[in-house]
Amino acid sequence: MTPENLLLRPPHPRYCTLGCPILDAVLGGGIPCNSITELVSESGCGKTQLSLQLLFTAQLPRRLNGLAGSSLYLYSEFPFPNRRLNQLVESFRSSHPILFASYRDPRDYIFTRDCQTAHDLLDVLLMLESRLKNPKQTGLDIKLIVIDSIAALFRGEFENNASDLKRRSSLFFKISSVLKSHAKHFGIAVVVTNQVVDLFDGNEWGNGVRVGNLEWLYTSGRRVCPALGLSWANCVNSRVFLSRREVVESVENGLSDGDHSGYVDRRKRRELHVVFAPHLPYSSCEFVIRKEGVFGVER
Amino acid sequence: MEVLRLPLSASQKGKLISAGYTSMASLSSISPSHLALELKIPQTEALEILKSVSNGSKLESTSSSHTIVNGAQSAWEMLQEEETLVHITTSCADLDNILGGGISCKEVTEIGGVPGIGKTQLGVQLVVNVQIPYDYGGVGGKAIYIDTEGSFMVERALQIAEACSADMAEYSRLYRKGSQARESKMMHPKDFLENIFYFRVCSYTEQIALVNYLDKFITEHKDVKAVIIDSITFHFRQDFDDMALRTRVLGGMALNLMKLARKFGLAVVILNQVTTKYADGSFRLALALGDSWSHASTNRIILHWNGNQRYAYIDKSPSLRSASAPYSVTLEGIRNSASNNKRVKNT
Repeated sequence: MTPENLLLRPPHPRYCTLGCPILDAVLGGGIPCNSITELVSESGCGKTQLSLQLLFTAQLPRRLNGLAGSSLYLYSEFPFPNRRLNQLVESFRSSHPILFASYRDPRDYIFTRDCQTAHDLLDVLLMLESRLKNPKQTGLDIKLIVIDSIAALFRGEFENNASDLKRRSSLFFKISSVLKSHAKHFGIAVVVTNQVVDLFDGNEWGNGVRVGNLEWLYTSGRRVCPALGLSWANCVNSRVFLSRREVVESVENGLSDGDHSGYVDRRKRRELHVVFAPHLPYSSCEFVIRKEGVFGVER
Repeated sequence: MEVLRLPLSASQKGKLISAGYTSMASLSSISPSHLALELKIPQTEALEILKSVSNGSKLESTSSSHTIVNGAQSAWEMLQEEETLVHITTSCADLDNILGGGISCKEVTEIGGVPGIGKTQLGVQLVVNVQIPYDYGGVGGKAIYIDTEGSFMVERALQIAEACSADMAEYSRLYRKGSQARESKMMHPKDFLENIFYFRVCSYTEQIALVNYLDKFITEHKDVKAVIIDSITFHFRQDFDDMALRTRVLGGMALNLMKLARKFGLAVVILNQVTTKYADGSFRLALALGDSWSHASTNRIILHWNGNQRYAYIDKSPSLRSASAPYSVTLEGIRNSASNNKRVKNT
């Protein structure tokens, strides 16, 4: 056993760009390789959007901060976002015309597989190992794995009693261990999306225990916490929270004195927060979801 | 064999060895009559042999004790030893204070807390701080970082090393005049990284194998003064078909770590996760790995939130009183808390 030389340039690239410099800046360069990053939010906030975007940016060459490899999208929620994927293909082709020319379809480098249960996922991951060892032969040079979502895999199979929760918790650590092992040996960036559950007052322990930089996580005016509890929180390296809230901006009609008849502008403000990460301080930014993808908003 | 070194005749040595007495310890508590019977020699001869054994152990022992059993110390010697105990600073004065100067070498300290509270940050701070040279009040040693979760980020270690380097330069400027300052070695951030022996383990078997290997490794790298394991728990929270096996394996690992700490006089820091335990009708946070694991470490520190402030609380220690100190995680690493209403609580 020999220790690793920390000063050596790593053989694999370190971060995968999200495709937007503002988002990359918040995350210290992008999604780190050799690490599990969790995106947690309520539904409709942009987790899947961001994940799909990563499936493309991972294919970018290293000089553009991509991982120069294929992506694997393991999905547990149906239906598969086909339409959005095709929209993004168009947008990526137009922004990188030479890289994604007509003969090179980015979809050829995106592998997808559905998983219904946690054991499904484990089977896929264990089978993946032998394929990843010979990327040239198998054509699977995967540098990004997205699991969307981890919470859905544990629905329905587990009751809310001590022994089932313990069994569930063991599965978390098993899955995380296999993912981290692949991430380490093959230089893969792993992104896992997770859902939220509502938090009720007075729940100081259990789900309510504070984890990370934010005392409470708010989205759509409700206090929430990530699903799967404290156990799962110990299984990821970094956690990013996407939130949504209604922002009311009253625009005054300043024409006549005393006439406060402005109109009220209600809009949805989406924010991305770093809840915890071993290499990042707390930071956040606003983001928007457009046809071309997810982009950060400058302050 | 130790008996060969004794000033005895060859035949006496031969009789001792064939009777099975090969070390000093084996002869330390035997009576002359018993020895005479075993070796078939007159009692006076046996008495002489035992006298030479006790003389021999007197000459060999480094202290002026009359210990009979090898390795035993008097309490006085232990007190003297404890007074010269070395500590590794955490870079947070409040935390150092409640720890009696910092993380103590020669002991196993366990630090646990929720994700994001700063366990890895503290671990990285310690592998940097152990390298602070004697001239700057440090231990001047190297460090081993065992990463089981993949939380160690080189960029972050570099940031913390840069801040430590800057602190040392500032100290040099303020307290060490002229020639002294020029003589002392300036440590660059990359030097810090070179002195960290980083191991990544991906399964519990690798973890056990590595801990077993540490004795040999540290014998070859005697300047290692800190071993950090981040985290000790991760690979053990998977399903173990045989929980008794897990307990045995963990117990063996804990024993190994304690031996390492004592033998080489280094600080062993084990980072642990927390889990919720249902006790007395309510949920409480407890360190993972169960009750049997609580005997593995000498000192136990729990990191927790109190409002918006991070606190470190001494949960168990044979020599430190129970106290709690605020700390913060900054760009430079672990530092004192910046808030105005912080206070060190003695509970």
